[in-house]
Amino acid sequence: MSPEPIRPLEDPAAAQQQFLSLFLRSEREVFRYVAALVPNVADAEDIVQQTAVVLWEKFHAYDPRQPFTPWACRFALNKTRQWMERKQRWQALLEGGLAEELVLRREELRPEIDSRLRHLESCLGKLPDAQLSLVEGYYYRRDGIEKLAASSGRTVAATYKMLQRVRLALQTCIEDAGKPAEGAMA
Amino acid sequence: MKLSFPSPEFDEAVAGVCHGSFSEEQALALNELLQSDPGARDEYILRVELHAQLASNADLFAATAMGAADEGTSGSILGTEAKVVHLPLPAHGRRQVFGWVAALAACIVLLAVGWWGWRGGQQTERRGATSKAVAMLNGAVDAQWSARDEAPQLGGPLEPGWLRLESGLVQVVFYSGARVVLQGPAEFQIISPNEASCLTGKLTAEVPPQAQGFRVVTPQMNVTDLGTVFGLDVSEGMTELHVFKGSVEFAPASGGSTKQQVTEGAGAVAQGARPPRLISADVAAFASLFDQQDRSVAAKSSGYQQWRAASSRLNQDPSLLVHFDFDHEASSDWRLPNASGAREAVTDGTIVGCLWGEGRWPAKPALEFLGVSDRVRLTVPGGFNSLTLAAWVRIRGLDRQFNSLFMCDGFDAGTLHWLIRDDGVLGLTVIGPGVGNYQIVASPPVVGLDQFGIWRHLAVVLDGSGKQVSHYVNGRRVSQKALKIQPPFRIGPAELGNWNGRGFPDNDPFMIRNFSGAMDEFCLFSRALSDADIRALYLGDKTQH
Repeated sequence: MSPEPIRPLEDPAAAQQQFLSLFLRSEREVFRYVAALVPNVADAEDIVQQTAVVLWEKFHAYDPRQPFTPWACRFALNKTRQWMERKQRWQALLEGGLAEELVLRREELRPEIDSRLRHLESCLGKLPDAQLSLVEGYYYRRDGIEKLAASSGRTVAATYKMLQRVRLALQTCIEDAGKPAEGAMA
Repeated sequence: MKLSFPSPEFDEAVAGVCHGSFSEEQALALNELLQSDPGARDEYILRVELHAQLASNADLFAATAMGAADEGTSGSILGTEAKVVHLPLPAHGRRQVFGWVAALAACIVLLAVGWWGWRGGQQTERRGATSKAVAMLNGAVDAQWSARDEAPQLGGPLEPGWLRLESGLVQVVFYSGARVVLQGPAEFQIISPNEASCLTGKLTAEVPPQAQGFRVVTPQMNVTDLGTVFGLDVSEGMTELHVFKGSVEFAPASGGSTKQQVTEGAGAVAQGARPPRLISADVAAFASLFDQQDRSVAAKSSGYQQWRAASSRLNQDPSLLVHFDFDHEASSDWRLPNASGAREAVTDGTIVGCLWGEGRWPAKPALEFLGVSDRVRLTVPGGFNSLTLAAWVRIRGLDRQFNSLFMCDGFDAGTLHWLIRDDGVLGLTVIGPGVGNYQIVASPPVVGLDQFGIWRHLAVVLDGSGKQVSHYVNGRRVSQKALKIQPPFRIGPAELGNWNGRGFPDNDPFMIRNFSGAMDEFCLFSRALSDADIRALYLGDKTQH
């Protein structure tokens, strides 16, 4: 993209701008990488924020000829490990080498995952309004689960359940969208 | 705690991890499962990835807000609206990473605009309708479904997933041809057109030759059919297999390689880790399941009688302007009586073309709309503040871009067009005064291929006081949007299942709007029915005693 990369330390303002532009372009990827290990959104975002701070501190060591995202993901993995060590539940979930295995396997599955996720938008479009607005509230507006439960007249548990069901429906939809269409029964 | 895969417990543990609400016990069990079962691990990765994508890709949502239907102008509205959508700025509830992010907001906006430009070309994807279903719910007697799930529709398609039946009997027909009658309480999972699993419950399976190899997995054994009728009784820690016809092969679920064949009149019991022992088949223990067919027919006939009773009560509603119950076949070949008590105001309908066919119950007639000229004409005088339209329809296909359910003639001020667009969107076009002044109120796509051939209750409420339009499918509201056109609304001359375009240009491709399918009830009310009213209308007699 930029044929003449600026050496970061020579101009702090330019370095900031360059960092921000690189980071923003990678942020989604880094988040997905962290979330593969710590899927809970608030926790994963915490880790991404902490990662961003480290990345800025280490930006002088970044070689602009290398792709930014893998560089950032290495720090994200370290941050995730440090974070996990303080949380017993997450440690229990990922111990015994499972974290490393997930990272590895996810990389292998990447083409498959990406080709399925391409259908996510059209699958969202097929959801009934009530389900779409729940997903929107939870993932996009980031309304708390209590608020979503209260506004739909459900219990918190039922709201979680509903989210789970909508995700499964979306998953079936994106998986089917990837297959050659067989159509309905005649 | 030990997790198996697939199971509802696995589903719950993965969801718990996504929501951050899992227990340490779940964490340990999941860790063990994911390390030992590569299939479960891949599934876990895919589910988490979907969740992470939803959480990180704001573009996904801004896009769905634009799925508007636009009758007549065919796509041009999208082009203009796309320029004024909300940009997915990082401020939507997220804490900012750095204080100086704000100073570079312009940069972010540019990126956001970039994403938007990219997604503009994706709109066509939503049309690729496919079916996920692998079976259908063919019959039900006194079925009580677990409140945890949405109850499946009788006659409707079933996708892979769990059926939790608390009591009663249901018949599931797999697309392979295998028929399973299930008696509650039961936890039954549909896996593919030729495979199911059963955690608890009693079932009989009838497997025609073309479905040979149909498999049912229980915690104790894997049963593979070899052309047969068999029964399974799965309870806590134990599975009983009874073969009534043909033969069946089974293997203990514990992984023992010893496959055994059981033939007609015999059976097997597997309990815990012990090797299965052979028993003789007990037909009497499954008698209630074999009765299902008869009881289902009886239930259908009583359903028709209940509907008739509810229907005559409905006719007393003074706001019911038109009620075509299609229940008086051949009183004449062209006159469709308006059964409403308030019928003085509205004349009977006139049938043009169409054929009589079978309705929701075998004894009840319905009107079939087949050709481009088939229609029912009626005239409703007067002006109204609010209106509600409801119909039971069996859609054969969405052959036209706009498939008419009920359309007022032409494009006159205050009139409406109720239709299904070819992508499954329900639409109500409300026409205002002045040229080009109309509002299209569209639902999300709700009529998929899976819905064809099944009786569906569709309704739309045009609420002039509350200034809202709501669409309903099977008693459930599927969308609600603000109404921008002022009452009074009018019907005048109108058609069911077709459209008389009048002054509309003859060569316009939107001119032909005939409905393809059958209708067995139509109601028009001069008021806005509530959610509960629509629900009651859909349920018929079931809630009104």
